[in-house]
Amino acid sequence: MKPTLEDVQKEMLPGVITRDGFLGSDPRTLEAILQDDNETVRGLGLTHALIAAKMRALMQAGLRGLGTWVAVAPHFVVLVDSVRGVLPCPFLHEGTFPKTRVTVKNTRLGREITFTELNVHLIEAHGFYEGQGAPFRLDPPTLAQVLEISGPETNSAAGQSSGEN
Amino acid sequence: MSVTVTINDRRLLALPEGVPLLSALNANHVFLPSACGGRGACGLCRVTVHGGAALPFSPAELKKLSAAERQHGVHLACQLEVRDGLQIWIPDELLRVSLFEVEVAALRDLTHDIKEVTLQLLTPPSIDFKAGQYVQLRAPEGPRRKRNVWRAYSIASPPSQKTRIQLQVRLVPNGLVSVFVHQELRTGDRLQITGPWGEFYLRENASELLLVAGGVGMAPIRAMLLDLLEKKSTRSIRYFFGAVSAADLFLMDEMRALERELPHFQFVPALSAPRPEDAWTGERGLITEVLERRLETDSQAEAYLCGSPAMIEACVAVLLRKGIPDSRIFYDKFA
Repeated sequence: MKPTLEDVQKEMLPGVITRDGFLGSDPRTLEAILQDDNETVRGLGLTHALIAAKMRALMQAGLRGLGTWVAVAPHFVVLVDSVRGVLPCPFLHEGTFPKTRVTVKNTRLGREITFTELNVHLIEAHGFYEGQGAPFRLDPPTLAQVLEISGPETNSAAGQSSGEN
Repeated sequence: MSVTVTINDRRLLALPEGVPLLSALNANHVFLPSACGGRGACGLCRVTVHGGAALPFSPAELKKLSAAERQHGVHLACQLEVRDGLQIWIPDELLRVSLFEVEVAALRDLTHDIKEVTLQLLTPPSIDFKAGQYVQLRAPEGPRRKRNVWRAYSIASPPSQKTRIQLQVRLVPNGLVSVFVHQELRTGDRLQITGPWGEFYLRENASELLLVAGGVGMAPIRAMLLDLLEKKSTRSIRYFFGAVSAADLFLMDEMRALERELPHFQFVPALSAPRPEDAWTGERGLITEVLERRLETDSQAEAYLCGSPAMIEACVAVLLRKGIPDSRIFYDKFA
């Protein structure tokens, strides 16, 4: 039986997969969080796939640094840190993800963002950016600005409208 | 209702019918690798089942198992239910994995984010392992953990120390177990571990040794070095320890002491981004760059690497270029 969003929301609570969980102090349901971020991403003229692709490309570039900062054109520096083990996806499907943490500094803007390899998957496969107040909450407009993600103007859906896969 | 399950044609267990095999085996102290809490996500808990090719495969198994594996009756234990007469095969070494009750004997900060944990074995009172292997440590259910959580840590002490082992635990932001170890654990606390696990261990021969690891990758390497010291090894050994800056170095005094005690041991720390205040005069650059500079071609060495997948892949590429074949490269990929 496919897991429901309620099942998934339980997996996202603190102490289940990570210490602080994925929902932070957000009072909204998971469904509402997904819908709101989906609309935000659409409003930016982007897609979850586009955002995830940029994150993944920066992560791949940063891996070359083996734990040191790597310059990535045009004006990013990226640090990738890995620790032992894997994390399962809270959406309760078959998938585990290395514990890889990526810090990207935009030297032109003087801003930085940190995300994990699991974050990239959560955005790409589920359109999930975590709840407000979660330690790895990634605000789509901030992601778009700091990582300088732009896409073609589109009126089509920004991606999955729910987290169920 | 209890039914009989046979393991490796010789061990019979009475297990409750209908429950997932993985959890039933665990409850009876037969431990299989698992990194996803039995969700079918990691694919590690493989077992070969007599007649298994004819049993239905779950969606998770269809994703994680190759066609050849399914034809041979391989299943994921977390996806299989216990049934009467079930016959399974698992690698024999997994039958040597035991559950231990341990007590925290000492805690010591090695760096700002690495803690050494010394565990006294209580029940059973000793563990047999090979230098390089690891244990799984359990952080118990508590206010910040909704369920028991297990994480793997390499044993950093030599196999001769069977009653007391050491681990090196790096603090991971938002990590369930590492935060527990760094912020909650106290001497005298009692925990559980399982082990020994792993295919990464020191092979006994006379080959020259190349050891490559940074950070807590040092743990299995330390076990190997102390084991070699106790066995009065005369093998030629070089240990390349990669770090970013001097703040990431630890146990330097111990490594320098080993250089004096082992007849042919050279310790080569390398910093990829030393700070001016480090006043660093040693090797500089990524560990791969240092290996490229320092290794001769057509090396006859045996290499042991411990670290992230990216570090391992990059170092393996260098070693292969230097003429060290796959068969002489061993690694623990931290994944």
